[in-house]
Amino acid sequence: MNRYVLKFSKTGYLKYISHLDMLRLFKRTFKRVGIKLAYSQGFNPHPKMGFGQPLSLGYESNGEILEFETPDRLQVDEILETMNQVMPEGIRLLLCKEIPLEGKALAAITEFAEYTIALPYKGVHLEEMQVKDFMDQEKILVKKLNKKKELVDLDIKGLIQELSFNEEEGQLLIFAKLDAGSVSNLSPELLIKGLADFYRLSYDRSEVEVTRENIIFAKNLQF
Amino acid sequence: MINKKDLDKLLKIVEKPGRYIGGELNSVNKGEGADLTRFCFAFPDTYEIGMSYLGLQILYGVLNREDDIFCERVFSPALDMEEKMRELKIPLFTLETKTPIREMDFVGFTLQYEMSYTNILNILDLGGIPLTSLERGENDPIIVAGGPCAFNPEPLADIVDVFMIGDGEELIVTLCKKHAQWKATGTGKQEFFKSISGIEGIYIPSFYEFEYNEDGTIKEMKKLYAGAPDSIQKSIISDIEGAFFPEHAIVPFIEVVHDRSVVETFRGCTRGCRFCQAGMIYRPVRERSKEKIETLAKNMLLNSGHEELSLLSLSTSDHSEFESLATELMGMCKENNVSLSLPSLRLDSFSFKVLQEIQGYKKSGLTFAPEAGSQRLRDVVNKNITEENIYSSVEQALELGWSNIKLYFMVGLPTETTADLDGIVEIAKKIVELNYKINGRKGGRFNVTVSISNFVPKAHTPFQWHGQNTAEEFFQKHIHIKDQLRSIRGITFNYHHADTSILEAVFARGDRRVGKPLIEAFRLGCRFDGWSEHFNYKLWCQAFENTHVDMDFYTARERNYDEILPWDHIDSAVTKEFLILENEKAKAAALTEDCRFGCVACGVNQRVKCEMEGINE
Repeated sequence: MNRYVLKFSKTGYLKYISHLDMLRLFKRTFKRVGIKLAYSQGFNPHPKMGFGQPLSLGYESNGEILEFETPDRLQVDEILETMNQVMPEGIRLLLCKEIPLEGKALAAITEFAEYTIALPYKGVHLEEMQVKDFMDQEKILVKKLNKKKELVDLDIKGLIQELSFNEEEGQLLIFAKLDAGSVSNLSPELLIKGLADFYRLSYDRSEVEVTRENIIFAKNLQF
Repeated sequence: MINKKDLDKLLKIVEKPGRYIGGELNSVNKGEGADLTRFCFAFPDTYEIGMSYLGLQILYGVLNREDDIFCERVFSPALDMEEKMRELKIPLFTLETKTPIREMDFVGFTLQYEMSYTNILNILDLGGIPLTSLERGENDPIIVAGGPCAFNPEPLADIVDVFMIGDGEELIVTLCKKHAQWKATGTGKQEFFKSISGIEGIYIPSFYEFEYNEDGTIKEMKKLYAGAPDSIQKSIISDIEGAFFPEHAIVPFIEVVHDRSVVETFRGCTRGCRFCQAGMIYRPVRERSKEKIETLAKNMLLNSGHEELSLLSLSTSDHSEFESLATELMGMCKENNVSLSLPSLRLDSFSFKVLQEIQGYKKSGLTFAPEAGSQRLRDVVNKNITEENIYSSVEQALELGWSNIKLYFMVGLPTETTADLDGIVEIAKKIVELNYKINGRKGGRFNVTVSISNFVPKAHTPFQWHGQNTAEEFFQKHIHIKDQLRSIRGITFNYHHADTSILEAVFARGDRRVGKPLIEAFRLGCRFDGWSEHFNYKLWCQAFENTHVDMDFYTARERNYDEILPWDHIDSAVTKEFLILENEKAKAAALTEDCRFGCVACGVNQRVKCEMEGINE
């Protein structure tokens, strides 16, 4: 058995394709290019493949990670080329790499994700928006629905690893490195809310573009 | 083209935005070139339903194969999308280039089901296209329509400019080529209509008008353009083996109703069930060879990466090489880790062997469609299945481990009595008893589902003259069966609401005058009438009342053979004499044999060769 990682971008209209649909897309693509997937044992076998971290519907990405197992030995360059030929516009494979068979699933060791958030920039002066002011708050509280569908305050301060602002073509660009994965996770949506509250930004959510740039795994493993 | 920023706004707030983006594997984008004939294939239901329809794939493929034609797609937006589009004033657009559909040369609807008609109006309206031919100008697209419901085109005669009757894969290309020729002349639309009105399968409703008798029946159909044909012969492709088939079918990103590769094995059916419109209008039977089917299946799987293969026809087992075809496909699928699904199998010993093989321990339900509860009534409808057939198949199924049996029946069939309804209960009961006999009283989970639909008389069938039951009659019949089944353990009872069946019947046999209540119903807010959660019977009644049209005239009324029927000018190639003869035989409960055992003189072989005629004689 062999284990590989694929890194790909997901842009344009493809951002409206859900996580599960992406899984099906890759499954069909493997079938088309003749890569056999390894299957789990048991009553209901399923193929051994999975994403590093699901990407929310509506987000673009420059660094999605998919891992899979196959009994075949693959020529990684060749795979990249054949798969890119049959991928739809909006999906571009950037890298294919073999990784050791042993070890946990990547999804289980996801630690951080980096995002660029583009907000239409109206009436805000960047020089007045000091990251420090935001991060120096004792707590950064945002409202969040809990599992019982009740609104509760959540302190997201400890979940923000890096944050910086920039300006480009009338847009406020927010760069953020956030906790991601099963242990500690922060959705960019909550960060956007927190920032908007603090800096009194008025924005229309449907005009905000979020792009995931990178996923970082345990021990600073990146692809 | 719709501004991408505006579109993003929409797509970020609606459910399942993947329905509206296009760009799927094997979809085509030729850009917006001015030299292209631009055709928009419109499916009047959601993306998930439309993308599971093989006809779309065939016509999309056959048009886009031509360099100078570009076929794009549009589906009914879901209600949340519609609301936002109206709010933000974004016109309905094609999936491929996001062009507003009003900029197309053609918008072509497929008419699969009468209850989708309000969705047609909604698509036009959302596209900013006037609803009726009269209101549309030279710059609006030409509205065309085809599919089974086009065999009674009159209810849509005010809305659709051009109907295509019969097989579409050659006709639709001809239509587009003719359009390009006409466009070069710089003349008005009327000239285009004239230039195509003589083509087999083309019906231009505005070239005809109807006069009515005092009792509301049709007095005569008059031609308004002398060059228009007296009757419209359906288009028939004779060489199905050589006909285009979409080996590069579009593969949706999102989950649709059927995520699988589908090969049409043959068109038409020789069985001659008297209620069945498909069995009449798709004649003659034309088969693809086993080799062709296998090649198509292989290529489709290769080009899609699908994990399921299915065969499509009106009766899978009737293919003349079915056994070897099924065996070989099973082998091929197994080798490639693809599951095979074979719908509408006749349950004989071979089918059981096949099902056992392809379903293994994951047994889905087994479905029988006796259609009627007594042998007498099954003979009336010419459904050649006996109770012995059913019971021996069920017995086999039980022994092989199936635990879910589905039974389909119709109520309201001609000549039906209470005894026939009781027969439905009897069959269900006996199957439950059979299970006890074979698996014992404690034999584990077992279920019989009895599904009842309401008979809707359809145009071009031997039953086209019959009155339909009233809603009240249907209701009484449902209750009659329900009451008796209630006490039996292990039986699930489903039935269709009568209201939908009544409306379906209005449009299935309606004339030009039912177009008004249709438009009124749309204006009142009717949409997605085929979806029980959206269907609003009260609004429909309001629409008929407001336009002074009597539903009963179209549904409950028995017609006589002399009456001019609204679809008499549409020639399905099956003769009226044959339909009358069949209806008379029905009254006498006399069977007509499958025409593979000898020609039954339906008339089709007067137009084209019948390959299957008498092959089992």
